[in-house]
Amino acid sequence: MAAFADILKQFFYAPDEDVGELFRPSIPADEMTLLASQERPGEYLAFFLAQECYAIPIDQVREIVRVPPLTEIPRSADNLLGVIKLRGEILPVYDVKMRLKLCERPPKIAGPEVEPGSLTSTSRILIVRDPEGDVGVLVDAVREVIRLKPSEIESLAPGIGGGDHLVGLGHLGTDLFILLDIHKALA
Amino acid sequence: MTTSTKGLSDFVAEATEILDALSRDLAILDRRRGERLEPDLVNGIFRSAHSLKGLAAMFGEQRIAQLAHQTEDLLDRLRLGRIELTEKVVDALIESFDTFQVVLAETSRRERSAVATERAEAVSQKLAQFIDSGTVEQSDALDQLELDTQVRNVLTEYEEHRLRENLREGMAVWKVRAVFDLSDFDQGLARLNSKLKSLGEVISTLPSADPGDGTGIAFDIIFGGKVETEKLRLALTALPASVHPLFQFQPQPAEPSLPLEQLVSPTPPGAEPEHRSPVRVAVSNAPQQASGALPAYANPRFGTADAMVRPSPKQPDGEGDPVGRGLTQTVRVDIGRLDSLMDAVGELLLIKANVARLAEQASRGGKPPPGQLWGHELHRESRLLERKLDDLQKGILEVRMVPLGQVFDKLARTVRRIARESGKEVDFLMRGGEVEVDKLIVEALSDPLMHIVRNAVDHGVETPDERERLSKRPRAAVAIRAMQRGNQVVIEISDDGRGLDEERIREVAVRTGILTRAQAEEMTPRELQRLIFLPGFSTASRVSELSGRGVGLDVVKTNISRLSGMIDTHSERGVGSTFTITLPETLAIVRALVVSVSGRVYAVPLNAVSEITSIAESEVRTVEGREVIGLRGKTIPLARLARVFELPETELRRCFILVVGLAHRRLGIAVDELLGQQDVVVKPLGGRLRHTPGIAGATDLGDRNPVLVLDTGALIEEVVNSERRPELV
Repeated sequence: MAAFADILKQFFYAPDEDVGELFRPSIPADEMTLLASQERPGEYLAFFLAQECYAIPIDQVREIVRVPPLTEIPRSADNLLGVIKLRGEILPVYDVKMRLKLCERPPKIAGPEVEPGSLTSTSRILIVRDPEGDVGVLVDAVREVIRLKPSEIESLAPGIGGGDHLVGLGHLGTDLFILLDIHKALA
Repeated sequence: MTTSTKGLSDFVAEATEILDALSRDLAILDRRRGERLEPDLVNGIFRSAHSLKGLAAMFGEQRIAQLAHQTEDLLDRLRLGRIELTEKVVDALIESFDTFQVVLAETSRRERSAVATERAEAVSQKLAQFIDSGTVEQSDALDQLELDTQVRNVLTEYEEHRLRENLREGMAVWKVRAVFDLSDFDQGLARLNSKLKSLGEVISTLPSADPGDGTGIAFDIIFGGKVETEKLRLALTALPASVHPLFQFQPQPAEPSLPLEQLVSPTPPGAEPEHRSPVRVAVSNAPQQASGALPAYANPRFGTADAMVRPSPKQPDGEGDPVGRGLTQTVRVDIGRLDSLMDAVGELLLIKANVARLAEQASRGGKPPPGQLWGHELHRESRLLERKLDDLQKGILEVRMVPLGQVFDKLARTVRRIARESGKEVDFLMRGGEVEVDKLIVEALSDPLMHIVRNAVDHGVETPDERERLSKRPRAAVAIRAMQRGNQVVIEISDDGRGLDEERIREVAVRTGILTRAQAEEMTPRELQRLIFLPGFSTASRVSELSGRGVGLDVVKTNISRLSGMIDTHSERGVGSTFTITLPETLAIVRALVVSVSGRVYAVPLNAVSEITSIAESEVRTVEGREVIGLRGKTIPLARLARVFELPETELRRCFILVVGLAHRRLGIAVDELLGQQDVVVKPLGGRLRHTPGIAGATDLGDRNPVLVLDTGALIEEVVNSERRPELV
């Protein structure tokens, strides 16, 4: 039965997903206009990689798509998972977990030797704008869109994070968001 | 600039087209310098400059408008014979053309740099000097003619000038009186004009002072040419025209005359209108002064009729779709080709109607048609559909095809400029400009060809002194030839210069650490020659401004591979070098062989595959540890795709071999299975994956995941060269 569900899911695959519901303003709307003049909050897309919650500026994200079948590129770099076809466009999809030391090696999700379980029903690909050509980034789940004021962003203390691909830590209530420079994480 | 983006792109597209026409004409002018001035040619250039001026003024591009105005002035004097066409004038014209391109490129980017503005002004002043300097005295020869004063009064200055020129050159001049029916006089006139133009020059076409009978209209055509009256009469027998000599020339027996058959080839009235023959001629000037009796004819736009109905680009004069690389995305299409596309669409609609009828028949609850008959009909329709879709696809591909000639013309200009700047004398020969390839390829070819030709002139050929010392002809020859070979187009660029210096290549290769001394010693001259395609490889001791911009032939090679083409070189010390580029004819849609290897599916452009064979594992031999196979007595290297691509290999007793490559550079690619053939649209892997080795792009086979298309050229390079030069990969 599970197999049949998979087929159905594939058959009704729609790349586009409505991002609207993800949006959760951190401040009530009426206060927003007031705040705009003082401290402009930035919008970030929060997503999960392993159990950690990361965030990148929402204007860098072109769209969020479900994971279509990927085609592997022979002899490519380890972090290149493969290419996907999105409305006629061919886009590369990268893994960032390895760079962030969240896994030893990237999951094998393209080609005939796909490892079962490396993708879940919440896995998504973020299509990230990039001057070199847009790229896809595999994430374990998309959480929500958050607003962070500069005062809510803490710069990294020494000993936290192992590279310049981390920008800072965002705090919203008790939640912690690791702000990522996605371009550096992909490089 | 306030023009909208659409307006701007329209302007750029149109200006580019004019510039391309200009470029073609200038190239011809350049080639024929020193010869008798072709009046039509100068006129054509004049008209281009004129249209450019109007267009630029309309779009508020003052820099172009002003320079075009000066150019037009100069050309006007030139065609009136007031100034002579000297080397300097040609150079100035070409310079102004180059400036147009620079300024236009800026405009298209919505920029405006001081450098370009200054350049435009400088050229403009230069042109002004020529305009002021030249006046050639005229003696009036027109008095010898038995021309009615009435006729003479309506001749424009230009027409008078042409008439004088004809007399000066000893041409005979006639007045041809032609009477046409009012209903189709334009076609008749066009026929007459094209016939006359094959024999000489139509100087002026005037509505006759005394009209013909009731329904007709009469024209007096002043015509000059080197034929005898009898021959002219004979040639015009099928046309309603009579010939009156105004001035006779003395026939010289040595003068070659046109074969008679050509003169009398019948053109029955009412035959298919020759809408493809040029209709412009010198007539466009005449009616401006003649009475306004012929509105359609007097319309100055009449002169551009041939631009609207383009001649088929197959015509060898290199005309057709002019496009500026990177500036415009428009394709000019022969109306005939569009018509056949329309036809195909029309027939598709018919088929659709038939299918709809069948569907309705089947779904109607009533008596169903006998299954077999119905199936029969459906089958027939589907076959028709297939055939028509095929036509449609072919038609679309044809529309995308443009002749290589347009790139060649640009090359000719480059050669001229570089030869001048480097003090060399170079003859540039072009052949095969009519060979057509996909527009995308033509555009992408421009830079690589430019680079090779530049190299040939700058580094390849010697200076005249040096050549004389070597007892070579002082004028060097650089030639470009294009040939069609099956589904491929081969372009050869050759020079008769000093050739590649293998010793220097060896030296540089060792010095830069590409090869060890031992490896370098082992290489054959031919292998050494190919090293020049490696990144960062340049043997030119003197880095010149022209070719040595830090980019080398590796860029050329990459660009060519991106078009799924191959480049090779063959050179002989002291004799010259030849670069050979092999390209697919079309990029957009290719017939692909779909294969599978280790469970992965790949597409291979079928035009790259010369044959397919199947071998047993036991037939694979090795030479120095490398696998080879025998192919009808020849032994070629074998590459297992799974191994090349580092995929887990599957054990098979037999595998399929795709033989790719040409002549001595062939390679057998082993795959597990053949899945079939399919027409595919190849999309390049852009962005970060641009340089994926061995992969030309991806395509859609109707599955949900993309299928990679192999770059066989790169694979051949990789495997054939891997022996001694792993760095090349």
